[in-house]
Amino acid sequence: MGHGHHHHHDLGGQPADVPEALDLSIPDSELSPSDVSRRGFLRGAGLLGAGAAASVLATPGVAHAHGDDHDHGSSGDHDSKGGFLWLAGDHHIHTQYSSDAQYRVLDQARHAHAYGLDWIVITDHGSVAHAKIGVDKVNPDIVATRGQLKDLLVFQGLEWNIPAAEHATVFVHPGRNEVAVLKEFENAYDGTVKNAGASTPENEALAIAGIKFLGEAVRRRRVDGALFLANHPARRGVDSPHEIRAWRDADPTVAVGFEGAPGHQAAGIPAGGAGGRGFYEGSPSSASFPGYPLESYRTWGGFDWMTATVGGLWDSLLAEGKAWWISANSDSHTNYLDTSQRGPDSNFDLNGRYNDPVYGPLLTEAGDFWPGQYSRTHVGASSFAYRAVMDGIRSGRVWVDHGGLINGLDVRARVAGDRRSGSGTPLGGVMRVKRGTKVELTIDIDLADTPNWSQFVPVLARVDVIAGSVTGAVSDRDSFTAPDTKVVKSFEVSKGTGKVSFTYSFGRVDRPFYVRVRGTDGKRTAPGVLGAAIDPVGPAMDVIGDADPWLDLWFYGNPIWVLPS
Amino acid sequence: MSLGHGANREAEHWLYALGLPAGVEACTHLARTPYPHVVVSLALPDGIDAELPAVPDELRESSDRAAADHAAHRGGRAFLFAGVEGLTGTVTVADLLAKSAISRVKVLGGAEPDPVTELDTRDFVRPEWMDGELTLMATAAPRGRLAPFEFPNPTPCCGGAH
Repeated sequence: MGHGHHHHHDLGGQPADVPEALDLSIPDSELSPSDVSRRGFLRGAGLLGAGAAASVLATPGVAHAHGDDHDHGSSGDHDSKGGFLWLAGDHHIHTQYSSDAQYRVLDQARHAHAYGLDWIVITDHGSVAHAKIGVDKVNPDIVATRGQLKDLLVFQGLEWNIPAAEHATVFVHPGRNEVAVLKEFENAYDGTVKNAGASTPENEALAIAGIKFLGEAVRRRRVDGALFLANHPARRGVDSPHEIRAWRDADPTVAVGFEGAPGHQAAGIPAGGAGGRGFYEGSPSSASFPGYPLESYRTWGGFDWMTATVGGLWDSLLAEGKAWWISANSDSHTNYLDTSQRGPDSNFDLNGRYNDPVYGPLLTEAGDFWPGQYSRTHVGASSFAYRAVMDGIRSGRVWVDHGGLINGLDVRARVAGDRRSGSGTPLGGVMRVKRGTKVELTIDIDLADTPNWSQFVPVLARVDVIAGSVTGAVSDRDSFTAPDTKVVKSFEVSKGTGKVSFTYSFGRVDRPFYVRVRGTDGKRTAPGVLGAAIDPVGPAMDVIGDADPWLDLWFYGNPIWVLPS
Repeated sequence: MSLGHGANREAEHWLYALGLPAGVEACTHLARTPYPHVVVSLALPDGIDAELPAVPDELRESSDRAAADHAAHRGGRAFLFAGVEGLTGTVTVADLLAKSAISRVKVLGGAEPDPVTELDTRDFVRPEWMDGELTLMATAAPRGRLAPFEFPNPTPCCGGAH
């Protein structure tokens, strides 16, 4: 690494290739009738978020929410808030088709469902065995599970070994080509299958080509959507800033974000495996980006350093105007305190899977939670549908929480005083206003009112508003700081139940900026990585061997941009 | 010298297998060109010579740089150094400084450690040369102790293969 890729810059550029309904350079008259109606719906509902564009600065008029009421057809089971159906999910789950995991698809799906999730993605590791056998064989299990659990959306994906880098969730919309596209992708672009793990320019280019392949599969209508989320990005220091930027720029409708918090959240439980939370236990290696500090190899309040650092790598992307979203997930392989083991007489290399699990010893040292047991990614969707979940993720209408810290979150940038329920710009959106307009942020939170899966009701202690200037494209693609970003306001939460609402005023706005929110139970805090002046009460670095995840809870929201002109 | 190993631990095992004279100080260095690899540098006691494997031509530059960094005490992660054999179990910071060549303990993001603070070595201590000081980077550990930042056997990434 250390060499720079210089792909196109965003400012002033045309939006990159996007699905036609989302590509506003294609006039309505040239769209298929179904895409016209899809675009019309998305536009009307304010759902054309920033994520569909190369830069939030280059897409005038796409991401306003509006005042119309619209019926999202919510079913009673799902949380309808701010006009969206908030669907909780997990995009990173392994099964018996991964060489280091053991569960059936149905095992994972039933637990996800029981723990309250609405959607999951099955992401077995890319590997020679998976590319040859597993990617095919897992599909009937997924299809059967869809039939058995009607109110759970089950996507097929895989955990891509990104050439020259870490892993990523890649998944597609269900359909007759879902296996074919994933299989072709894995065989052509997986870092393990292609022996392309080393940090070389050729391998970095292969990663870019892989992302472009997925976008092309959508444009050719082989699949109805494809998404990429980089997994555990800072764990080994091998995802350099310029690679992250390059993935996103390769196709911002596909490569939309990374794990704000990794899975394996049980790995640091003192009475359990007593390792590093998230299995973040590494140190710099010859493959890692030399600029990353030691702090980047650990989690902070359970979150990846790239996200947890106010003014850090994530903020540097947002300050550029790059739509880039965070998620949370289980990365479930073997789960803490489960009592099962791999089926006997398994031959993974031959069969592409382990035999069905059987009863086994108590897994006291396993590092994972079941999907939905601890980590949730909440997506504001227009309906309970695969495409709506993908559109919501692509639009950044996403917030994440650990341990059921809160029940619901509605954050909106608004023209001061506007309190109409459907108005304002939601998470992931871009608010365009006349220079000098008074703008404020409203934060409406449904506090936890039921016990979480450790049987206690979490208590939210504090909510932080984080904001920074939008400064445009960086000249150094390996930069990972946003010097202007900091915590601008902290709200103490004095109530234990019900709803709480906060308003933060930005006054009359004259320069572009973005804002995001974060909250905590306040049980474990420290001055931020970049100092108390930037983040006075931030997450603390997790201690290897002493990280009880239930005693350190956070939620994070994705950003909203405000662009005066 | 280097055989182009990708990881610190592989390079360490290689060196142990060579059978080195007593009193050697050995460091690993991370190098990115011409491809990611680990270089090993040795500081031999006065009057001692060792027969060392030849360095491949393409790794000559990184090896020379590593040797210079080690000699100047500005770089290198030491895995063999004076007193390392005594750094097992739990020791106080004062003991660690007294019993080994380590001259400084820094706590990641923290203040200077109190000399009486206990440090859980995990039987794996890898200080680094920085600014002329053989420095151990430490972090908080269970039971109010410190521990070296570098964790001995990190859980292999999912998949285990890399």
